[in-house]
Amino acid sequence: MTSTDPTPATGTVLDADPTAVDREPAGLRGRIGELVFAVLVLALGVFALIGVFSIRVPAGARVGPTVFPMVVAALLLAAGVALVVKVLRGDLGEAEESEDLDTSQSTDWLTLGKIAVLVLAHMFLVPIIGWAFAAAILFGGVAWSLGAKRWWSALLVGLAVGLVVQIVFGELLGLSLPLGPALGWLGDLI
Amino acid sequence: MENINLLMEGFGNALQPQYLIFAFLGVFVGTAVGVLPGIGPAMTVALLLPLTYTLDPTAALITFAGIYYGGMYGGSTTSILLNTPGESASIVTAIEGNKMAKAGRGAAALATAAIGSFIAGTIATIGLTLLAPVIARVAVSLGPADYVALIVIAFITVGALLGSSVWRGLASLGIGLFLGLVGTEVLSGQQRYTMGLLPLADGIDVVLVAVGLFAVGETLYVAAKLRHGPVELIPVTGSWRSWMSRQDFKRSWKPWLRGTAIGFPIGTIPAGGADVATFISYATERKLSKHKEEFGKGAIEGVAGPESANNAAAAGVLVPLLTLGLPTTATAAIILSAFQSYGIQPGPQLLTNQPQLVWALIASLYIGNVLLIILNLPLVGMWVKLLQIPRPYLYAGILTFACFGAYAVNFATTDILILLLIGVLGYFLRRYGYPVAPLVVGMILGPMGEAQLRRALQLSQGELTTLISSPFSASAYLVLALLVVGGVWLRRRQARYERMLAAEVDQIDTVEDSPRQTV
Repeated sequence: MTSTDPTPATGTVLDADPTAVDREPAGLRGRIGELVFAVLVLALGVFALIGVFSIRVPAGARVGPTVFPMVVAALLLAAGVALVVKVLRGDLGEAEESEDLDTSQSTDWLTLGKIAVLVLAHMFLVPIIGWAFAAAILFGGVAWSLGAKRWWSALLVGLAVGLVVQIVFGELLGLSLPLGPALGWLGDLI
Repeated sequence: MENINLLMEGFGNALQPQYLIFAFLGVFVGTAVGVLPGIGPAMTVALLLPLTYTLDPTAALITFAGIYYGGMYGGSTTSILLNTPGESASIVTAIEGNKMAKAGRGAAALATAAIGSFIAGTIATIGLTLLAPVIARVAVSLGPADYVALIVIAFITVGALLGSSVWRGLASLGIGLFLGLVGTEVLSGQQRYTMGLLPLADGIDVVLVAVGLFAVGETLYVAAKLRHGPVELIPVTGSWRSWMSRQDFKRSWKPWLRGTAIGFPIGTIPAGGADVATFISYATERKLSKHKEEFGKGAIEGVAGPESANNAAAAGVLVPLLTLGLPTTATAAIILSAFQSYGIQPGPQLLTNQPQLVWALIASLYIGNVLLIILNLPLVGMWVKLLQIPRPYLYAGILTFACFGAYAVNFATTDILILLLIGVLGYFLRRYGYPVAPLVVGMILGPMGEAQLRRALQLSQGELTTLISSPFSASAYLVLALLVVGGVWLRRRQARYERMLAAEVDQIDTVEDSPRQTV
């Protein structure tokens, strides 16, 4: 609990700011994530700057392909430094508001992990079992992770969505969505 | 006069049955998706982009225009009937509209929003019709240095002025510019930041970034803290004909027109963004209203004005987009990428090279507005039902469509991985209060800015003063300086204003709630 100045550096916040209490971090722990993100912005700037030297400049080009990357690297470096300083001083960002959001809850990393794994699984499954079934698993899995009451009905809805998209976009409109072994006959039909 | 003929020709095109069907499909799907909670206009446009992949350019752009306008209409329904605002442009609508709905006047709020959107949309489209050819004619004489000036203005306003934190906006812009750099550089054929990876050699597709940031990022963001339990929805009762009383009309028509007058010009300048327009409109209505005491408790002017401003700004944004090729909002950036995927480059040449396409598009905006008022007044009950979709299914659907959209870009599964990575980035941007729009705008405008910059410097043989020596660019930078000063002032006012409002609304809530609790 370091006693940092609660007023952000910009100094525009009035005393009666009702949200100031909520945004006050729980010491360093509360801002470690944001600090890491700010450092990553800085790191991207460093990466962009180092990357400039590996771009080959064709002979004779007065304004070559490295000019703009240098500008971008400078912008990222400046923003990264400014943000690290800001976060260290306790000036944190305001998390975006959204419908359906219960801001009093703590972050549910397990659900986030499940969704990420499901998207990765979808990526691998599309060429193997066809788009419709891969989509059904993605839809059903995500709905289940988010707390859908019956997992099988989520899966059925997902299957319906997958099949409709596959037939309308894949077969009727001609997007080449893989049919997979189970629906291979559909391709010959239409 | 010539323009009127061209517009009539455009109508002749857009009114052909097959295009009419696409216009209807566009507004229908656009409204449906725009109504869905958690989906703002930018996400609507990004998610629905794949729908147009298989159409011919005219049909695709007509559908797209419908989606764009439809998403705007749909968003207002959501903010009035759900008790938390989503996108920033709807915050003021949500304040007054939601209070009206709670007081049993939800129908009047929906009606004034829909009619206001129609009037503003139509007048602003007329503005677009008149203004676009004029600006295009001026724009033909602009040199590369002038374009650099315009793009710098767009960067600074979108990146630094519109968000709540200057440095977070600039960081987001920088990330977008960096993503725009990845790939093979056009002029010299050199690979930049590809790390030798083949999928990156062609660059990262803008659609992936837009869908990843908006759809996947938002899904992850909501999934982390999903509000469980039933959806609190305020029912709308009565027939739509009796929704607005004579008194409501009397109080609404001036705000409709004022909102239009505020929204359209703000949309056209590259300092756009509907949220600025809605805020100014709200402040104006509050100042001018004879019913000041109702503000914060559900004043109809506070819905009519900002909603009109919102839609007028949406049409205004199309002016720089079509005539200069300059997107000033995230939504416009996605629309620009849709144009580009058909090999169409918006800009001063567009009106002379592809007049048929442009005028059919503009005509379809008029048609779309008429279709939308029909869809949104009598049929609003149907859209309201969409708000009750169980959230697990809603977000599962968004994510599935996002993966579909990403895959449909190139039919490469590696794109789904890139989509996920960008989605994770979007999650952390939201979590730590970084605005997303500068990233999308930066990624689209970055390569254009670089090309113009190099062209300008090539012409001047590396002399940097060329960037500010033309009268146009010099005055553009002067305007930029004024915008920065004005923007800082406006933002301080806006922040103070919002806090004051929030405090007032809280106060009213506690006063209203306390007697009920004692009963």
